[in-house]
Amino acid sequence: MPLDAPVREEFAALLGPADVIDDPVRTRAYECDGLTGNRVVPELVLLPRTAEDVAGCVRICARHRIPFVARGAGTGLSGGALPVADGVVIGLNRLDRVLEIDVENRRAVLEPGVTNLEITAAASPHGLYYAPDPSSQQVCTIGGNVAENSGGAHCLKYGFTTNHVLSIEVVLPDGSVVTLGSDSMEQQGPDLRGVFLGSEGTLGVVTKITVRLLRTPEVMRTLLADFPSVAAGGQVVSDIVAAGIVPAAVEMMDALAIEAAEGATGAGYSLDTPAALVVELDGTVEECDEQFALVKDICDRHGCTRLHVAGSPEERANIWRGRKAAFAAVGRISPDYIVQDGVVPRTRLAEVLERISGMGDEAGLRVANVFHAGDGNLHPLVLFSAADGETERAEHLSAGIAELCVEMGGSLSGEHGIGTDKACSMPKMFGEDDLAVMNRIRAGFDPDHICNPGKLLPTPRLCGEKPGRYRPHPLEEAGLIDRL
Amino acid sequence: MTRAAPTTLRPTTPKEVRDAVLDTPGRLAISGAGTARHWAGRPAEVDATLDLSALTGVITHNPGDMTVSVHAGTPVRDLQAELAGHGQRLALDAGRIGRGATVGGLLATADAGPSSLVYGAMRDLVIGTTSVLADGTMVRSGGHVIKNVAGYDMAKLLHGSYGTFGPLVEVVLRLHPVPKATACVAVDGPVADAARHTAAVVSSPLEPIAVEWVSGDPGRLLIRLEGGVDTLPGRVGRLVDLLGDDAREIGDDAWSGHAALTAGQPSTDAPEGAVVRIGCAPARLASLVAELPATGVTAGLATGVATVTVPGAAVAEVHDAVAAVGGTSVLRDRPDALDAPAWGPAPSALALLKAIKTQLDPGARFAPGRFDPWM
Repeated sequence: MPLDAPVREEFAALLGPADVIDDPVRTRAYECDGLTGNRVVPELVLLPRTAEDVAGCVRICARHRIPFVARGAGTGLSGGALPVADGVVIGLNRLDRVLEIDVENRRAVLEPGVTNLEITAAASPHGLYYAPDPSSQQVCTIGGNVAENSGGAHCLKYGFTTNHVLSIEVVLPDGSVVTLGSDSMEQQGPDLRGVFLGSEGTLGVVTKITVRLLRTPEVMRTLLADFPSVAAGGQVVSDIVAAGIVPAAVEMMDALAIEAAEGATGAGYSLDTPAALVVELDGTVEECDEQFALVKDICDRHGCTRLHVAGSPEERANIWRGRKAAFAAVGRISPDYIVQDGVVPRTRLAEVLERISGMGDEAGLRVANVFHAGDGNLHPLVLFSAADGETERAEHLSAGIAELCVEMGGSLSGEHGIGTDKACSMPKMFGEDDLAVMNRIRAGFDPDHICNPGKLLPTPRLCGEKPGRYRPHPLEEAGLIDRL
Repeated sequence: MTRAAPTTLRPTTPKEVRDAVLDTPGRLAISGAGTARHWAGRPAEVDATLDLSALTGVITHNPGDMTVSVHAGTPVRDLQAELAGHGQRLALDAGRIGRGATVGGLLATADAGPSSLVYGAMRDLVIGTTSVLADGTMVRSGGHVIKNVAGYDMAKLLHGSYGTFGPLVEVVLRLHPVPKATACVAVDGPVADAARHTAAVVSSPLEPIAVEWVSGDPGRLLIRLEGGVDTLPGRVGRLVDLLGDDAREIGDDAWSGHAALTAGQPSTDAPEGAVVRIGCAPARLASLVAELPATGVTAGLATGVATVTVPGAAVAEVHDAVAAVGGTSVLRDRPDALDAPAWGPAPSALALLKAIKTQLDPGARFAPGRFDPWM
């Protein structure tokens, strides 16, 4: 038994008894992350206060082969921080210091428990900000962002967490501490920093993060435009891109999502429109003004029925409040819902939305759509009622939507990760060999399989054996690759 | 025992690359256009060379999605010409692209140019890869969409790998629009003055695409702006006003001197000096390069990345000086006879790197010598 009394005492001797939680009432608070349908109560929760103590915890785990799961704010939507039975959770919320704002080099050094929004709050007095902005940015932590390679509304222009992290200090699963990345884009050999980013807590625990900060743009121009159909909105996005404009953000919502968001926030969205587009441009006054005029023209050309330009920072904030509240707001129009996250090539948006609508009708369930239209990242919200026994149907529909995205030449996940939620769908996107190599990389980091086991890659125990004949790779079926 | 002269294999399809790896016993060197043949550690003796320069061509270009997949041996120069017809480009301007460097070669050597300040390095532009491992496994990661977090990002592992995990055969890239207009503003002066100007520019709202100092007498700071045909002149004016001194707009060919210092040497010529690539925190770069015995320097004062040409005997000293400010360094071109360390001190993650190498290439078949003396 790995977690017998002497082991517990080792943790208590390291952290102090108050920071080792085994009271089932309290460990229960850690039983799930944002994917609340999956729950496992951990044996122990460890709450270290320093990077050294995190390494100490991992060393004890390594010595006794105790599986561990690192956890930030628990806002993840794919079950990446789901505890492991007989294992420990290492909560990183107490490592919450902004260690340095280095104005001269435009970077910040952070502990993993710092929230995403706190970085920009600390940087903004210097005219700087941190670009990736997931909707959960008020609570989600930079450590979690590193694990998930989080995106957000502005990653079309500015990229994802991986494009903004210079270096990370990581406790490897054997308890050793390494630095991946460097102070510049030059590195000593392969980009292990980039391998760790988005590895969903399966390759180690991050204890220190150095991120790039950007200069706050001179101006931001934001508009909210209504369209007679989602397809018309999609065409606007295509035309903006074809004009050589890279907007800071392009977000689309359909009628159901608008109804929910407007009901919750009163942000000023129209309740009678089938689709609304939020377009934001930023940059220098000269470029922004010129491009913004062009965007307004494009909107008009595609039958825009109402165009509202944010006239003040407050109005801009309001538009974003409506958009960012959309997931939670759906709770107002449905007792239960599942947030899906898939990606399709932007040019196939209209087609995929039609298919999703058909799949929803077939399942007898409503699907609200909120998406990052600029990069083809969909967030279909499957609405259902658990009390009416619709759970299984909703889960089936949601998984089907993600797999549809792969079939269209896209991805199972744009920003929420694979976690436990989609591990069994991975063979839809990757071949057996691809997954086997990912397992080899994982073994290079974690030969004893104690670091967040059961996440990201399918296992026979999790997904059941899948014997049988050759199944063509989805990209092969889509005509994008050839079988060798 | 003497070895037979190494064979050169020149596959033209991914399948032929895999067959070559499976059918050729022993150790393999990998080459593309050969523009970085001598970079990093000197290649050790091999049984065969996999020459990927015939594995070329665009596989799929999706203009509406701004993505392209190409065979790894495709010269970026050729790719840019093809994309330009759609008003698109790969936003990478490494100097040796002009010498025919390939997509796979630029990725494997983690090369980048001045515009990495805004567009990042190859690691930020690649969204999918297919490569061949020592046991013949063809492995894909990423995909054809820009936003994608499914699975481990193999492309990053291959970035800067110098072929040590095996040959790349296909690469999927994200594209950017070709700017409507580009301008270059220059200020002459030594690197210390250039650093002061750089600080002013990066804290201004003018959004420079590249900020590079090029050595000379007294040296010159080059700043690139991109924008609209009608809007760019106004920004150039603001930039000139901001910098003062003798700042002025000059022709875009000013960058050719920069490229010449970073592009490496044609393999037939023995270079005069050794070229070392350096990276450190940007604010430390000017004083670092000022103290090196360099005969040629390009310094990205906003990125922290510099390329310096120094006497061969000074390479070890350069590694030490860079390590002392917490930076990283790697030897690029060198005189043939030079016996100098290719890398600075080993990274803290060396044991991890070795563990991954053992997982993917247990027989140490690929690119022996590149990470000498670490592994």
